[in-house]
Amino acid sequence: MEAQMATVVAHNIISPLGFTSEMNYHAIKCGNSSLRLCEKAFGTSLSVTASVFDEEMREQLLVEGFTWFESLVIHSVRKAIADIGMDVSGKEVCFVLSTTKANVESLDTISDEQVLPGRTAEKIARYLGFVNEPLVVCNACISGVSALIAASRLIDAGFYRHVVVCGCDVLGKFIVSGFESLKALSPDECRPFDEERIGLNLGEAAATVVLSASKGKWHICRGAVCNDAYHISTPSPKGIGSGMALAKVLGNEKEELAFINLHGTATLYNDQMEWKALERSHLTDVPANALKGYFGHTMGAAGVMECIISMLSADDGVILGTRGFHASGVSGVINMSSHNRSSDKDAFVKLISGFGGCNAAVFFTGKAEEDNRVLHLPDYTTISKVILSSQEIWINENRLPMVERGKNLIVELYKRSMGDYPRFYKMDGLSRLGLVAAELLFQSVPDFDSYEQTAIVLFNHSSSLCADKKYLASISGENNFFPSPSAFVYTLPNIVNGEIALRHGMHSETSFYILPERDEKMMGQLVSSTLADENLSYCLTGWLEYMGDDDFVADIRLIKKVN
Amino acid sequence: MEDLVLKLKEQIIEALNLEGVSPEDIDVKAPLFGDEGLGLDSIDALEIIVLLEKNYGIRLSNAAEGKAIFTSIEHIADYVKEHRTK
Repeated sequence: MEAQMATVVAHNIISPLGFTSEMNYHAIKCGNSSLRLCEKAFGTSLSVTASVFDEEMREQLLVEGFTWFESLVIHSVRKAIADIGMDVSGKEVCFVLSTTKANVESLDTISDEQVLPGRTAEKIARYLGFVNEPLVVCNACISGVSALIAASRLIDAGFYRHVVVCGCDVLGKFIVSGFESLKALSPDECRPFDEERIGLNLGEAAATVVLSASKGKWHICRGAVCNDAYHISTPSPKGIGSGMALAKVLGNEKEELAFINLHGTATLYNDQMEWKALERSHLTDVPANALKGYFGHTMGAAGVMECIISMLSADDGVILGTRGFHASGVSGVINMSSHNRSSDKDAFVKLISGFGGCNAAVFFTGKAEEDNRVLHLPDYTTISKVILSSQEIWINENRLPMVERGKNLIVELYKRSMGDYPRFYKMDGLSRLGLVAAELLFQSVPDFDSYEQTAIVLFNHSSSLCADKKYLASISGENNFFPSPSAFVYTLPNIVNGEIALRHGMHSETSFYILPERDEKMMGQLVSSTLADENLSYCLTGWLEYMGDDDFVADIRLIKKVN
Repeated sequence: MEDLVLKLKEQIIEALNLEGVSPEDIDVKAPLFGDEGLGLDSIDALEIIVLLEKNYGIRLSNAAEGKAIFTSIEHIADYVKEHRTK
């Protein structure tokens, strides 16, 4: 297949502001917001300000036989592909779902298997006519941008001609109580970067971007994902990962930028961290904005949705104002305004950060490139592997004699291989498994110290199902409603990447993908296109499944690029 | 008061999964957060907020309020004694 550059050929946004990208953009341009006070919301006693669909919209959007989450995805994807009359039934088309929690709000009403994001994506893909197995990107709040980067690479590498990326999350008791337990929510409308900001508002939406190997206008010139290796839920105060991602996507193109669209959740820590990242890259004078005041933090949809709005505003010559911003509340100058401004430039940077210490940046440009960019895929070789299941542990060809079985086997291995890392006991099963398997893998390679050049790309089928159930138990009854913040954080499967990165001081790309079934071909495509980054030499990759305390497997390897 | 201190220590050890730590290992005056003492982090602070609500009916609305109280076990015990509703 001849490689051609991935460009944006269609898009759609379905949010309470409207059911097309254009309706959303015009509402935002006029300064409208869908944030509302919801009292006793989502079956809890909590009153929160959020962006949610009203009953009439819900009725209009619900698709029979599908959950609310699935319905939103179906509408958004269907609209985007219909706009360009695209036939998605070919082998050259891939469907990528970006989500943090997919169907989790239905955890107590549908079967476990139906809750799994890979199965959900498969069900949607079949219904819409895709024939290839779908891919789910689950990298907490950076998922949308991370999915656009992955999709762009898959096309540039020549694996597919079209990739349909849809980002979506919906709100319910699970997610809202979780953010409340983290004390991250603002009772009023959020105020990104403002001195009086006190937290974020959540929002539900679905947003779709269709990327094709063609000569469309907008495309990702460069994209990067970097880890803070600082903490699993608090961003690096120095903006380490975010600053690194920015530095990777921007060369000397600062003057070409219309604006930088920030994550701007309006939590104290996030906004300050992003400002530090801008400062590190000498970008505080570039016009910046944040859009959460219009439609809240839409999680898995955020990266996709905010890139679409940014493309439309740049096309319109507008730098959108930051709703809720009045006076800067970060530790230095920032070029931000609550009003719309004008610009004649056609490039922007989108910045985003998420739990698990992950950060992503993309440099989008509407300028045609003279040459087709081709991703040169490197060859690689396995230098060591570890298979750790509930019954046994293999390091390359050696089976280690062990006393314990099940989850106690992981504890036994922890004591043998680490022993001085009490964080281990705070982790959920998936993170414990990944951390210990990674430790054994690195120890098996004599003198390995190239952590800074090593990406972490992990896959599974069951997402974070065990952690989801544990958290659900903490919010299960009226008299037993004590949402556990630590249990909630581990309901993001990519936290295991963050734990490994934190343990070894790894700042390179960390990604977590969920598949309907283990699919070596798709896994290989993602790993090789990730390794095309010239700064990477190694990748810790493999299958990491934790279905229960007696049913788990880590089948991971360290691979090295060979030229 | 001593009973309350012991109870709090046990509850904190359980809620925060402080494996291998026993109540007598925790100095009532030692700092709980940062590099000294127990070295707890921001999520641990939030988990202690939940613990206080669950067991003592104390509601703290934000993490900053918690941080001021959670300087040591002794401080938490004083606060609980004064504000508990159950």
